[in-house]
Amino acid sequence: MEDDRYSVLIGGEAGQGTRMSGILFSQIMNKVGRYVFEMDDYPSLIRGGHNYSVITSSVSPIYSHYDHLDVFACLDDRSYDLHIKKVKEDGTLVYNSEAIKEDVKGIGLPVYTWVKEEGNRPILAGTVGVAAACALGGVDFAVLEDSLRKAYPKVADVNVSMAKRTYEALADHIGKYPIKMKDEKMGAIMTGNEAISLGAVAGGMKVYIAYPMTPASSVLHYLAANADRLGIAVCHPENEIAVMNMAIGCAYAGAKAMVGSSGGGFALMQEAFSLCGQSETPVLCYLGTRPGPSTGVPTYTSQGDLNFALYQGHGEFSRIVLSPSGNNQAFYKTAELMNLLWRYQIPGILLTEKHLAESTMTTNVDVDSVQEEELAMYDGNPEDYGRYEDTESGISPLLFPPVENAVVKASSYETDPKGYTTELPSVIVPSFEKRHRKRKAIEEGLRKVVTVETHGDGKVALVTYGSTTLSVMEAAKHLDNVKVVQIIYLEPFPIWSVEEALDGMEKIITIELTVSGQFTTLLKHNGITADGSVRKYDGRPFDPIDLANRIREVIG
Amino acid sequence: MNLDTPVENTWCPGCGDFGLLNAYKRAVTELVEEGFCKKEDFVVSSGIGCHGKIVDYLHLNSFYSIHGRAITTVSGMKLANPSLKVTAFEGDGDALAEGIGHIVHAAKRNIDTNLVVHNNEVYSLTTGQFTPTSKKGFKGKSTPKGNVEEPMNPVMLVLASGGTFVARGFVGKIDHLKGIFKEAIKHEGFSFVEVMQPCVTFLNTFKLWKEMTYPLEDHDTSDFDAAWKKAQETEKLPIGIFYQTKAPTYEKELLGTLIPAQQKKVPSEEIKAVFAER
Repeated sequence: MEDDRYSVLIGGEAGQGTRMSGILFSQIMNKVGRYVFEMDDYPSLIRGGHNYSVITSSVSPIYSHYDHLDVFACLDDRSYDLHIKKVKEDGTLVYNSEAIKEDVKGIGLPVYTWVKEEGNRPILAGTVGVAAACALGGVDFAVLEDSLRKAYPKVADVNVSMAKRTYEALADHIGKYPIKMKDEKMGAIMTGNEAISLGAVAGGMKVYIAYPMTPASSVLHYLAANADRLGIAVCHPENEIAVMNMAIGCAYAGAKAMVGSSGGGFALMQEAFSLCGQSETPVLCYLGTRPGPSTGVPTYTSQGDLNFALYQGHGEFSRIVLSPSGNNQAFYKTAELMNLLWRYQIPGILLTEKHLAESTMTTNVDVDSVQEEELAMYDGNPEDYGRYEDTESGISPLLFPPVENAVVKASSYETDPKGYTTELPSVIVPSFEKRHRKRKAIEEGLRKVVTVETHGDGKVALVTYGSTTLSVMEAAKHLDNVKVVQIIYLEPFPIWSVEEALDGMEKIITIELTVSGQFTTLLKHNGITADGSVRKYDGRPFDPIDLANRIREVIG
Repeated sequence: MNLDTPVENTWCPGCGDFGLLNAYKRAVTELVEEGFCKKEDFVVSSGIGCHGKIVDYLHLNSFYSIHGRAITTVSGMKLANPSLKVTAFEGDGDALAEGIGHIVHAAKRNIDTNLVVHNNEVYSLTTGQFTPTSKKGFKGKSTPKGNVEEPMNPVMLVLASGGTFVARGFVGKIDHLKGIFKEAIKHEGFSFVEVMQPCVTFLNTFKLWKEMTYPLEDHDTSDFDAAWKKAQETEKLPIGIFYQTKAPTYEKELLGTLIPAQQKKVPSEEIKAVFAER
C-alpha cells in the first residue's frame, strides 16, 4: 500500500448506519495508532437515499480522504453504481449479496438475512461495513469488539454478533491490507464543528444562539448536549434575526456570545450585523458554507460565500473574517477570534465550509496554550462613564450593567461619547473617525498572530484558504516543487504575510471551491495576480490525487 | 431620583409619548424607592420611530435597538444576566409589523421581559403611513384611498400567544398607567403593556380615546376567558390589567442557576477531558 494509506468507503441507504459506522471505524483507526480523515456524504433527506463515509487513515498525518479505495463496503445497490469505479485495481469490494443481484467481482455477504436474524434493525447493516474494513486491514477482532461494546452499550451483543459473522465470512482475507498499527491513540476523533465549539468555549464563549441550518446545526446540537458540562447557555429562538439580536443583548450585558448559520440564515442576520458595527458590539458569527445561492445544495460543500462574508452588512465598519483549515487550527483560531473581537469590539465571521464542519479527523491541541484575554474595562468614576468615549486607539472601555452610579448607553444611532443620539456634523465626524481608527489597531493586532500558514518550500505557490487547504496539503504530497500558502485571515487582508509567503515564487496557482474565482479576485484586489486557478463547484471536496493532476495541468 | 438626561426632547408639543415617559419614570422611581431593585438594574431598549427616542430621555442603562427588534435585544440581556430588569419600548409598527414574530415568541417562551407598545395607529417619524393597528379606511401616505386592511388587536394577539401579563393603558391617565407599569415590571415573566398614545401631528386621537377608554373594574385578572372577552371590545376601550398568571420563566428553565455574564472562568479542565474522551 502506498504510504501505508488505507482508504475505505462504507456506503448504504440512509438508515443503514453508515455514518455511525464511519465514525466508529475512525475511532478504531485512531486507537491503533493511525491518523484519520473521514468525509461524510449525505443527501438532504432522512430515509431512503444514499449515505456514505470515506475514511482514509495512515501512520503519518493525513489531511484528506482519498476516493481511490482499498476497501468498498457496499450495503445497497445504489452505492454499487455510484462508487464501484473508485475501487483501486488491487482493492476489494465487500457487498450485500441480497441487494446486488448481478454478477460482480467481490465478496458477497447476506447482509439482510443477518440483520433479520439479529433482531431486524436495518441500522445493524453498518456494522458489517466497519467489520469488513477492520478485517481486511488486519485489526484484531478483540479491538473491534471492545469498540462496538463501548459505542453501542445497549445493543452491544447484536452488533458484536454482526461483526463476528463478517469476520468469519472474510476469514481468508483477514489482513489482506496489512496496515501498520501500534498501541497508541493518535489524538481525539471529532468533527470540525466540535473542534470549533470547544475553541469558542476556550475563548470565553458563554452563550451560543442559533437556528438550525446545515452545516452549522451540529454546533448547536453539540453545545446544547454539553451546555451544563461546559458552563454555557444554548438558545434556539424563532429565527436568525432573533438569534443575532439576542447575541447583541448578551454581549451588552457582558456574556460572550456566538451565533451560527449558513448563507441563507446569515443573510437574515445582516441587519443586526451592521448593528454590531454601529453599536461596537462584539459577536462571533459562525458561517458554514454550502453551495448556494438560496437553498442550493444544502448538505454539500462550497466556498461561494467568501464575498458575502467580506462585505456583510451595510454601512462602513471594521470586521474580521477568518477561515480555518482543519480541526487543530479551527480550535485555536476560534478562540483567538473571540479574543480579538472583544479586544476591538467588532463583529467577526468564522468562515467555514461543510467540508470542515462535518468531516471527522484526528485532533491534537494544547488547551492550556489558549488564554481568554482580559477585557479593557472602564476604571474611572462611574458617573463619568461614556460607552463611546473617544480614545486614541478608537477602543472605548467597557462596562456591563449593573454598575452603581454608571449608565451604559449603547445605540444603533450615531451618538456622542456618552451614547446619546446625535445628528451634529461636529459629533458625527469624530465618532466615524474613532471607529475607523480601530482598523489600524486591528491590523497591528493581526501582525502579532499567524495570519498565513505555509507548508513546503517549492517555487510554485498553491494559494488557498479554508478547508480546501486540507485537500491542497494532501495533494502536495504527490507534487514536486510546490509550497502551500493558506491565507487564514481574509479581512483585514494580511498583505504583509501574504507577500512574504509569495516572495520568490515562480508561479502562483489559486485553488478554491467556486465557479467565479472569488478568492482569486480577492488576491487580485490586493495586487497579487494568479498564473492559474483550479476550481471545483460540484458540491464535493477535492480528491487529493485528482487535485494533484489538475494542479499539474495548470502548472504546465 | 432624577431620571432626566441632558438631551433636548424633540417630540412634538402635546405628543402622547410625554405622558408615557412620565408614567414610566414615576414607576421606576417608586420601585427603586420601595426597594424592589436598584436604579442600575434597569436596562431599557427601544426600536425605531418617535417612541424610540425615549431611551435618550431616560437616565438609565439603555440599548437603542433597531426596528422591531428591541424585545430580542432585551431577551439577550436577560439570558446573559437574569438579575437585570428590562423594558423594551416599541411602536405599533415596530412591534406588530416588523417584529411581530418576536413578540409572539417572547410571550410563548415567557422570558422575563417587559414590552411596552406605544400605539398611535400611525407611523409618525416616517410622516404618516398606516400601521397594523390603523382603522380600515385610514388615509395615510401609502394608502391615499384608505387602508383596506382590518386593524389588529394587540391585546388579543398577546393573550393568544401565551402572554402571562397583558395590559392596556392610556397616556391621558398617567397615574393609572404608572400603576400598570409597576405591576408589569414586577411581573416575573413576559409582561405586555399596550399604551394608547395619540400622535398630535398625524392622527390626533386624544379626545376620542379619552371618551373611549374606561378602567377595568370588577374584573378577575386570573380569568383568561374574561380577559379574552374584554379584549374583544372595540367600541369602548378597557384599560388596566386584562390577565396575569404565574408560569415558569424561560431563563430560569434554561439557565437554572447559571449567570453567563458572571461566569468568568474558562472550563479548561472540562475541555481537556472532552479531548481525552475522544
